[in-house]
Amino acid sequence: MLMNETKIDPFTLEIVKDSLLAAGDEMFIALAKTSMSPIIYEVLDYASGLTDAKGQLLTQGNGVTGFIGMLSYMVKQTLNKYGENDKLKPGDIIVINDPYGGGGSHLSDVGLVMPIFYDGELIAFSANKAHWTEVGGKDPGSFTNDSRDIFQEGLQFPSVKLFDGGKLNEGLVEIIQANVRFPDLSLGDMWAQVAALKTGERRVKEICDKYGKDVILTAIDNQLNHGETISRQELKKLPKGTFSANGFVETDGIGNGPFPIKVEVTITDDEFVCDFRGSSQQVPGPVNCSFTGLASAVRTIFLAITNPDQNVNDGVFRPLKIIVDDRSIMSAERPAPTSNYFETMLGCTDLIWKALAPHIPHRLAAAHLLSVCSVTLSGSHQDTNEPFLIVEPSVGGWGGADGQDGASGQFCVLDGETYNVPVEVAETRYGVMLDEYSLRIDGTGAGEYIGGKGVIRSYRAMTDGQEATITYGRNQYRLWGTGGGLEGSVNEFYIEKADGEVDGPYGVYPRYQLHKDDVLKLMTATGGGYGDPLKRPADQVAKDVKNEYYTVDEAKTLFGVAVDPETFEYHELDTRK
Amino acid sequence: MRVATDIGGTFTDLVYVDDSGQVEVAKSHTTPPNFEQGVMDVLDKSEINKESISTFIHGTTVIINALTERKGAKTGLITTKGFRDVLEIARGNRPDLFNIRYQKPEPFIERYLRKEVDERLNYKGEVLSPLNTEQVKEIVEYFKNENVEAIAVAYLHSYVNPEHEKETVKLIKELWPEVAVSASHDVTKEWREYERTNTVALNAYVQPAAATYVNKLHTKLTDFNTSSQNYIMQSNGGTTTFEEAKKVPINMVESGPVAGIYGAAVLGELIGEENIIAFDIGGTTAKCSLIEKGEVKVSTDYYIERTDRNAGYPIKAPVVDIVEIGNGGGSIAWLDDAGSLKVGPQSAGAVPGPVSYGQGGTEPTTTDANLLTGRLSAKNFDYDVDLDLVRDTIQGKIANHFNMTAEEAALGIIRIANSNMLNALKLISIRKGHNPQDFTLVAFGGGGSMHAPALAKELGVGKVVIPIASPVFSAWGMLMSDLRHDYIKTYIKRLENLDLNEMTTQWNEIESEAYQQFDNEGIKQEDVVFNRFADMRYLGQEHTVKVPVPAGEWTDEQLQNIVEKFHQLHEQNYTFRLDDTGTEIVNLHVTAFGKVQKPIVQKIERNTTLDDAKIETRDVYFENPNGWVATDVYQRELLPVNEEIQGPAIIEEKAAVTVIYEGQSLKVDDYGNLIIETGAR
Repeated sequence: MLMNETKIDPFTLEIVKDSLLAAGDEMFIALAKTSMSPIIYEVLDYASGLTDAKGQLLTQGNGVTGFIGMLSYMVKQTLNKYGENDKLKPGDIIVINDPYGGGGSHLSDVGLVMPIFYDGELIAFSANKAHWTEVGGKDPGSFTNDSRDIFQEGLQFPSVKLFDGGKLNEGLVEIIQANVRFPDLSLGDMWAQVAALKTGERRVKEICDKYGKDVILTAIDNQLNHGETISRQELKKLPKGTFSANGFVETDGIGNGPFPIKVEVTITDDEFVCDFRGSSQQVPGPVNCSFTGLASAVRTIFLAITNPDQNVNDGVFRPLKIIVDDRSIMSAERPAPTSNYFETMLGCTDLIWKALAPHIPHRLAAAHLLSVCSVTLSGSHQDTNEPFLIVEPSVGGWGGADGQDGASGQFCVLDGETYNVPVEVAETRYGVMLDEYSLRIDGTGAGEYIGGKGVIRSYRAMTDGQEATITYGRNQYRLWGTGGGLEGSVNEFYIEKADGEVDGPYGVYPRYQLHKDDVLKLMTATGGGYGDPLKRPADQVAKDVKNEYYTVDEAKTLFGVAVDPETFEYHELDTRK
Repeated sequence: MRVATDIGGTFTDLVYVDDSGQVEVAKSHTTPPNFEQGVMDVLDKSEINKESISTFIHGTTVIINALTERKGAKTGLITTKGFRDVLEIARGNRPDLFNIRYQKPEPFIERYLRKEVDERLNYKGEVLSPLNTEQVKEIVEYFKNENVEAIAVAYLHSYVNPEHEKETVKLIKELWPEVAVSASHDVTKEWREYERTNTVALNAYVQPAAATYVNKLHTKLTDFNTSSQNYIMQSNGGTTTFEEAKKVPINMVESGPVAGIYGAAVLGELIGEENIIAFDIGGTTAKCSLIEKGEVKVSTDYYIERTDRNAGYPIKAPVVDIVEIGNGGGSIAWLDDAGSLKVGPQSAGAVPGPVSYGQGGTEPTTTDANLLTGRLSAKNFDYDVDLDLVRDTIQGKIANHFNMTAEEAALGIIRIANSNMLNALKLISIRKGHNPQDFTLVAFGGGGSMHAPALAKELGVGKVVIPIASPVFSAWGMLMSDLRHDYIKTYIKRLENLDLNEMTTQWNEIESEAYQQFDNEGIKQEDVVFNRFADMRYLGQEHTVKVPVPAGEWTDEQLQNIVEKFHQLHEQNYTFRLDDTGTEIVNLHVTAFGKVQKPIVQKIERNTTLDDAKIETRDVYFENPNGWVATDVYQRELLPVNEEIQGPAIIEEKAAVTVIYEGQSLKVDDYGNLIIETGAR
């Protein structure tokens, strides 16, 4: 029993653990509340948390899934660089966004790390990471889909001290100010991050004051072990063996691709090993993902498979092992561009998902939209002439699963508490109108449990000179079904021009020029189906037809059910027998 | 006589004030699905003269039950062309981050009952395409054939210009007078089409059930009394008439629980406390709400079925801000897969209830832990308590795992439950930028008084009040309530180029609408009180701050004051202010009260001594100092006024128990409230 290793009573430990988790939550809320950037307080594109003195994650608040685990790599990088010879002191704050050196994602995500000392001893770290609206680089908004090296993507912070013993590095602040397009926003977010770190530091010290340092350190060990115990118990329940999958990252945005990627997953009683060797080398365009990004991709799907309910800490990930070639598309090194790293990261998550979906149906599903489907649209408002900038991900279909249809109109797995922009808000703020925001009905994703629907979102430009940069990955290969379910569709967009011409379909496209009354028709994919469509209950198929999810013809050919288009009475066809 | 009845999950409570100002209570069982029967039962049980009821106020769970049990009407929806799927797409968020099998909340209206018509406004409310009335007629025909019982209408930008919605409703009523129909602008005038559409959809969904219930209750009441004024509690902490309640029934979604919060504010006024944390512990949940300067906070950020795993359904009705967690007396204590002790959110409920009820409960609960540690007495249960069974259950399910005694484990359960509740209390106070030292904790509900003194001390709150009638305090709150309506309208305007005349027109329009509604309810203009608020933000931001603004026409100076007030409130809530950034109004919010005569709470007269009140001395197991402590136990109703009792001590009353700890003290104030000094600095 873990509890017997200490004389501290188990309930005090539990309460201290709860207090640490609550401190983590509070840091998370504090950052959203003090941020000035919509991408942080609306999209919640940030994460914050606490680690122990070795950089092991204790608690992490997440707005998006994709940052899971990245905080610990930042802290470990900090320890690598400053850990020896007492180079860390109270009041230090380190800034990191170097994707290959602890940052993990792209330059836009800027991380801060603060050591927490009590009685002169380093006991924990407070850390966070947030998407800044601007970090400089060749394009406004910094992240882009056609950069050719990291230098085009913005300012790099290779784990340097922003505060040294509580003293602000003013030179660094001036460099940021001079190199980014909206310094108020970027620095505002930086101060919000600093405030949130200090909240974490304050709470940890309060807990130390109340319960004593030794109790806290015991509670921390206990917490990590608790995570590991739960994780190992779940691991035991998984099927054992080696499972593999192949896939592609379709394009690097500058004309190359598709790039093959592959995984071999080996599950034993003690380990969950993901071997990505043999995947494509790093590529010229900005879809490269660093090893840290890959680790987050693997952690995401590992959690989905083992125990999606629990509080996450590094103990949970102890059974995980990742093997990958050097300088591959998912372990890229300087100076590979990484702006759209998330498309490869999603590809890696999908590989493990796809390899295991047939074997772990109670936790997995058929393929979902498999792209962040990011949209950037800029121009000026028709009434105020003020410039506007839309930066948003898109919702699409999720896969069917054993016992349930896929969800329609959801953001991809790397997003989370992410909200779409209401039509009424978009039409007020931006120089656009929406012709429709509806489910995309395309006859795909059939199964005993059907794939969720993608959506159609049509932006009509209300002024000339608008510019759209679209990154719809998964535009060539349809979303896979499983257990006999059929494939879903792909993400794509068209431009219906004011003069009647229709251009498209496209997936990834930088800076498409739109004129007044041109319509940008964005269409996301329908998820893959699960199970044989002929097994879908006939009354459900008739309902699907009545709800216009599938046509009468599709009911007949895909599902083997004849449905009367007027009365919706139905009977099963011979194909079902 | 003024009588309030409140339907809860298990009991229907009644509170009334007789002519001498004495507060009396009664309880009887709740009687689903014919809830009005429970109301009649409790009226009978109270033995009041029903003919002498002058005002009848009612809190009901009928609306929330219809929603959570999916027992509403078959509902159709009419939307702007291109947007019928807004209800299904919703916002795309997924709180359950790592769940690949996330189940998105299903819309209350299936796709084949969601129909589109040609009509279009722009964001300024200008008509780009007229309403196609032929299509509306076809849809009505279609809905008739589908046996639809209620229709919701939601068009884009109707919060700016409701004409098309009005025209549609008028047409439907002409074509099909029997069907229930509601338009989104009648339910909420805020922007964001998904939230508004969902709100009107749910309103239509519950409309027939609400009408049936209110009518049945009205018929039963008029059987014995035709002259009483009948009111229903709404979610904003105020009441409305039966007739008005049927028009927008979704406003009753939190009808019962908010009354206790409102009651805490009224009580605070009576005893001179204006900053209050209201805290209500029931059988399955604990609820808390922060009252600042006497003001109960009302917002439209309300959801049903929203958890940290589920997106839930937004309802843009004005609802008192409440944080609710799954920890109450019936919460089950359990060990997780790695052997850590957890309490809640699963509850043993009313049936089978805690082990101590002896009704077949097999899982240890907070109530059982409170019994085993001597906080509760077996004598006060309605059931025959098998204390050995309670001890064995806690021993077997919890204590053995930790190699400890059942009592130690029971104390652990109480401590973990308190830790959960403490986090909820912190959420509404410290994390919103408030200092708990500036607040008084008013605790009620069956379990509020049991846990509040310990929690208050942890939180740093110096004073706890256990009000009169604390186990039925929601009903008491209803007795003290006024009629209230909240009018919230999205009105996007930058402050630097605000047209003050147009502003005045906007406010006047809202207030004349309010006068009209109160007139329908029989309230005269001179009894109507308005408070104005503006939801404001910095340009480019999303989140808003509710700023109190002056009545009448604004001067430029007042405008400056409003902006300054906004900066201050923003700094309090969000830690920073941006003096050089422009500010913007998003919503206008008028709270309108129709003042009615309320009972005067009398001071109590009591010639008793502490000895009279003392029931026994019994051993109670405490944490600090750890061990069994001989503790005096008193009967609340017999405690002398203004005499101090030192902790540890226990005060028992019907359906509730107060526990104070070493270093704390308690006395009864002039009104019969228990006032506890917690010993917090």
